Amino acid sequence: MDQLTDKLIDNLGAIVGRENVLSKADELLVYECDGLPHHKHRPRAVVFPSSTEETSAIMRELARAKVSFTPRGAGTGLSGGALALDSGVVIEFARMRKILRIDVENRLAVVQPGVVNLHVSRAVLPYDLYYVPDPSSQPSCTIGGNIAESAGGIHCLKYGTTTDHVLGCRVVLAGGEIVDLSAEYNGYDLLGTYVGSEGTFGITTEATLRLSQVPPAVRTLLAEFAEVDDASHAVSAIIAAGVMPAALEMMDREIIRAVEASVFAAGLPPDAGAALLIELDGIEAGLDDEARKVTGICMEYGARNCRLARDETERKKLWAARKGAFGAIGRISPDSMIQDAVVPRSRLPEVLHAAYDIAARHQLRIANVFHAGDGNLHPLICFDSRSADQVRRVKEAGRELMEVCVAAGGTITGEHGVGLDKRDLLPLVFSEADMNAMLSVRAAFDPLGLCNPGKIIPMLRGCGEARAISAETNAVPLATKLQSAVPPPDSIEELSEIVKRAAAQGLTITPAGGRTLLNTNPATNLIVEMSRFNKIIEHEPADLIAVAQAGVPLTTFNQKLAENGQWLPLDPPDNGHATLGGIIATGLGGPQQFGYGRPRGSVIGMTVVLADGSIVKAGGRVVKNVAGYDLCKLFTGSYGTLGIITELIFKLRPRPAREATVVANGSIPELLAAARGVLDARLFPVGVELLSSSLASRIGIEVDSAALLIRFAGNEKGVAYQVEQALLHLKNASIEETGVASDDSWIWQNLAAVPVREAPSFATHVLPTKLADTSLDSHSLWQVGVADGRVRTFKHVQPNTSLDPLSQRVKHNLDPLNLFRGHDYEHAA
Amino acid sequence: MAQQGEKLLACIHCGLCLEACPTYVITGDENDGPRGRLYLMRAVAEGRLENTSDAFRTHIDRCLGCRACEQVCPAGVEYGQLLEASREELSRAQPKSDFTDKVLRFVLKHVWLSRTRLRLFFGSARVFRDLGLPRFLLKTGLARLFSQRAHFALALLENSRTIFHTSGKSVPSASQTDGQSPPVLLFAGCVGGGLFARVNRATERVLFANGFKVSAPEDQVCCGALHAHAGDLDGARELARKNIAAFKSGEPIVTNAGGCGAMLASYGHLLANDASVAEAAAQFSSRVRDVSQQLQTVEAEAAPLNKKARSVPDTTNGRCVTYDTSCHLLYGQHAGDASQQMLSAVVGPNFVPLEGSERCCGAAGIYNMLQPEMSGRVLQEKLDHVRETKAQILATGNPGCQMQIGAGAQLAGIKLQVCHPIELIDEAYAQAGVYGDGE
Ligand SMILES: Cc1cc2nc3c(=O)[nH]c(=O)nc-3n(C[C@H](O)[C@H](O)[C@H](O)COP(=O)(O)OP(=O)(O)OC[C@H]3O[C@@H](n4cnc5c(N)ncnc54)[C@H](O)[C@@H]3O)c2cc1C
Ligand code: SF4
Ligand code: SF4
Repeated sequence: MDQLTDKLIDNLGAIVGRENVLSKADELLVYECDGLPHHKHRPRAVVFPSSTEETSAIMRELARAKVSFTPRGAGTGLSGGALALDSGVVIEFARMRKILRIDVENRLAVVQPGVVNLHVSRAVLPYDLYYVPDPSSQPSCTIGGNIAESAGGIHCLKYGTTTDHVLGCRVVLAGGEIVDLSAEYNGYDLLGTYVGSEGTFGITTEATLRLSQVPPAVRTLLAEFAEVDDASHAVSAIIAAGVMPAALEMMDREIIRAVEASVFAAGLPPDAGAALLIELDGIEAGLDDEARKVTGICMEYGARNCRLARDETERKKLWAARKGAFGAIGRISPDSMIQDAVVPRSRLPEVLHAAYDIAARHQLRIANVFHAGDGNLHPLICFDSRSADQVRRVKEAGRELMEVCVAAGGTITGEHGVGLDKRDLLPLVFSEADMNAMLSVRAAFDPLGLCNPGKIIPMLRGCGEARAISAETNAVPLATKLQSAVPPPDSIEELSEIVKRAAAQGLTITPAGGRTLLNTNPATNLIVEMSRFNKIIEHEPADLIAVAQAGVPLTTFNQKLAENGQWLPLDPPDNGHATLGGIIATGLGGPQQFGYGRPRGSVIGMTVVLADGSIVKAGGRVVKNVAGYDLCKLFTGSYGTLGIITELIFKLRPRPAREATVVANGSIPELLAAARGVLDARLFPVGVELLSSSLASRIGIEVDSAALLIRFAGNEKGVAYQVEQALLHLKNASIEETGVASDDSWIWQNLAAVPVREAPSFATHVLPTKLADTSLDSHSLWQVGVADGRVRTFKHVQPNTSLDPLSQRVKHNLDPLNLFRGHDYEHAA
Repeated sequence: MAQQGEKLLACIHCGLCLEACPTYVITGDENDGPRGRLYLMRAVAEGRLENTSDAFRTHIDRCLGCRACEQVCPAGVEYGQLLEASREELSRAQPKSDFTDKVLRFVLKHVWLSRTRLRLFFGSARVFRDLGLPRFLLKTGLARLFSQRAHFALALLENSRTIFHTSGKSVPSASQTDGQSPPVLLFAGCVGGGLFARVNRATERVLFANGFKVSAPEDQVCCGALHAHAGDLDGARELARKNIAAFKSGEPIVTNAGGCGAMLASYGHLLANDASVAEAAAQFSSRVRDVSQQLQTVEAEAAPLNKKARSVPDTTNGRCVTYDTSCHLLYGQHAGDASQQMLSAVVGPNFVPLEGSERCCGAAGIYNMLQPEMSGRVLQEKLDHVRETKAQILATGNPGCQMQIGAGAQLAGIKLQVCHPIELIDEAYAQAGVYGDGE
């Protein structure tokens, strides 16, 4: 051991206690790999911090010594992410495993990063709550690792991945700075950008997680098919038919056999070519109808048999079998390489064919077990690592497989991350400009370059700084000077040109959409109208996605999607003219964000023109994607201050068969209490909005002091049942005056238009349980999301344009000349 | 180690076993988890790590051998067997020479391999215990004057006592059963025969009441688990051969100690490479079952406490009973369900489940004497859960666990009586009059 290391070990030991530092070569051996053991890099030391403060002190010391580091949770990662390259130090969180706080009423839990995923759900189950993301590794993987990978799971088809269930992170940056990232922050969505950054932005030392109600009813179906092909056609058909299963998984013959030989044997049919496991959940009413519908589709697509799990025991067994499937491969092969790629669901049949072909060509055995509903493939290639030839063939086959998936419109990783393993495949999906933008953001989080280096992005020529300089020097002198108003650009190239010219002339820019919320910064010289970016490019119902340009109004977009029974379920402030680009740039949700999420959760891909005129793509066109950083989150809600959004790709939802709204009239405290009662009754409203009487009257509802609106959506029976239950609850809470609007879209449309008509308004967030303490009177205008704590009031507030230091670094790295002005964060929330 | 290559390859490094492992949960060190230990073993097998390495020794020594990891492993890694091989490798490559180890080796060799000396050893321990000396030393606090380890050892011994009165009852002799009764052979065990003779008697009575003809072959010896754990596989094999000979008639072999049961069930593997006995060993192992598993073969109608015959008396006087599954019973013999089922037949509403019942208590053979610190931390977790149940009686199917939990509870000031589940059945039978004279 060299002297530098010796000294470093001593200093680290002084911070955490010598017994919490491993430094003997033999004890470091086991830390040379993670769940993908063919990459091996032995660290120089492993440190076990026990608090945020210790972590910060460790990182200060490492920065001082200029030694890089890698955070590590349980080491179940499948991309070589938790390995310390170049003899870095591993910071291990297995000992920070305390659940710090469970807040049942506000449905959140605060945990240390080393808490095991499954332990969160186990701890809150007594309250009928659970933590939704359920990776198959959930009995051992940690929350810190999950956040780093934005881990998915079996149930993320309907409920989203880790990024949709994290409310906040305490993060220590290289050098020791501690920052709190929050989903409710009125600025850039740094939290969304951080989740999935694979330990290269900083280290999570505390996380606030969203908890969800356990669905009161579940049906699990097992469908057997003779051919994989039929099964994969059935998958698309189920989604296109408007069913939203909680989970939709496929296992092929090889996997079924391996599982049935393991401790997880669950009685799967060993002679079937493929089996689908389909889970439907929600409220009891109407669930059997859905199950019948799914069964019908499976049979129509050639299932030999499709049946319900007999009881809870069998249901658990089936899922345990699915989750244990990857491990069970150990029984049939000395080594296995698990791949992770996503393709549009509708392309599953051909991609699966290609996968089997590639394996056959390389004389390798392949088994498939995967999240079919998301199009997230996990081909397992069996081999023996003692044969160099086999190892070579596995690598080749793996790369070919990725190429096929990308060519089909997919991506190279849906949940395992890029890490070290796929670093060199990233250029398959991102251009150099795209990756440069990512590097600029990375440099904002980690200017020292010490945070898990060598992962995700292959070494490119430049960092953020270098790129900014090139923007300055490459700018072309222009013949014609730009005026304060330019004709609306027609193409992305034209837009890029305008941006370059503006930069060269020192003009600042604000993009404009439907001008519903535009609050132009006086410092802006140039307003660029996006009205000609008005094309809906594509809608693929079986994939539940659509692509459109930024200038398309949401209403137009949804009319088009409705032709195929789908929609983009957002209700931002909108008088019918709000454009997709504007909605995403402001990132604002609305009353139904409780049920459908905010815009940040709907955007899966985008094209943006940056300050240097470069055209970059973020995300992609598949619903699950963790390749590279999630820059979609960063641009969503950035108010056009980081770049101009030109094109968007959305994940959609099937239109509910039925919607209805319960309206109640009462005093503010009464209605608040009653609304909480409804929320705790295991019903699933999509919006629970409380309005002051004056606001209610603007949308045509006359009440004494306040109106409560509770909207339900879903199948006929489910909505009818929930309306009935809600009325019962209101009655028990002595709220006499109630009504039901079964044709209710006017209510919500009018409500969405209020903030546009009555501008200015601004929204803040409080904990739902604190709403009762918020001063609300019946005369002024306000609306409150009872379930999510959103409070919108209508008055002018001096815009607060100051950004926190980290956001400033992000802004500086992406737009060093401060070209994009006009942010007005006061509307945000 | 090198011969274990194929078995080691089965591990795909998925980490699904981590949280099942008590030592990993405590230290968070990959080296102290099953996956890390397997990695060290594989490194030794492949020559990437010297078998003389400190890390190899330390982390293999710290393994409880509870085999909880095996249960959750999707790839079916045979951890227990690999652990034994590692311990053997270590005992060759790094023979220990500290005092504890010397005494241990001496005792294993010169006491355990000799029937007479072993009897003498446990006989004196029993006399010492029954005279009340450990209790006196513990109560007065004098025990603390010895080393901490000795203090705990006294508590262990004290906790091998009985909590019931039935234990003095006579055992029906085999001749009392009729010719129709299916015969079974009782494996008495060294600690069982030595300190827990009453459990063996209760087992015999209960089996008898259920219509079995019980006999205990005279020439049986210790099962060899202690030797195997200490890496003395030759010692274990020697004992195994003796037992195979002693139990050569083809009847079921009934055990009441999870640790012994698991060892006996692994004779097939232990002697697989010895052509002269391999087959007999495999056949022997297939005949081993826990008493609860044997009782499961009895038709519900024929059980002494079936609904028609007699109602179940309240043997626990309203006290709450909880149950701790011995790891070896659970993972080695897969008798966890059977054992719990047996218990529930007599306990009923007074039963409170124990959180983490499937986890090791830290006894792990003589681990508690060799790794007192880690064992203490594992035990602590168990005691915390026991406290939560508020139970006054804890039943567990292995003498080592019984002593460990009893001693831990005693020293921690928890009012808890520990017994074998079969003792509760026996007591219930006695009170219900199954044995004829009622109480
Ligand atoms: C059998 C099996 C099944 C799996 N199934 C799934 C699945 O269904 N879905 C899925 O998404 N994944 C799955 N995975 C992959 C893996 O479990 C996940 O990526 C998991 O999130 C990793 O968590 P971990 O605690 O093991 O992290 P590690 O492997 O230790 O680390 C993963 C990454 O997170 C970083 N990291 C760890 N802790 C922190 C922290 N505190 N702060 C910042 N960065 C940190 C590391 O640097 C590394 O880059 C599976 C893996 C296995 C072995
Ligand atoms: S022992 Fe089994 S569960 Fe543990 S890492 Fe290896 S394969 Fe996975
Ligand atoms: S036997 Fe027990 S202590 Fe040893 S590795 Fe397995 S689970 Fe851990």
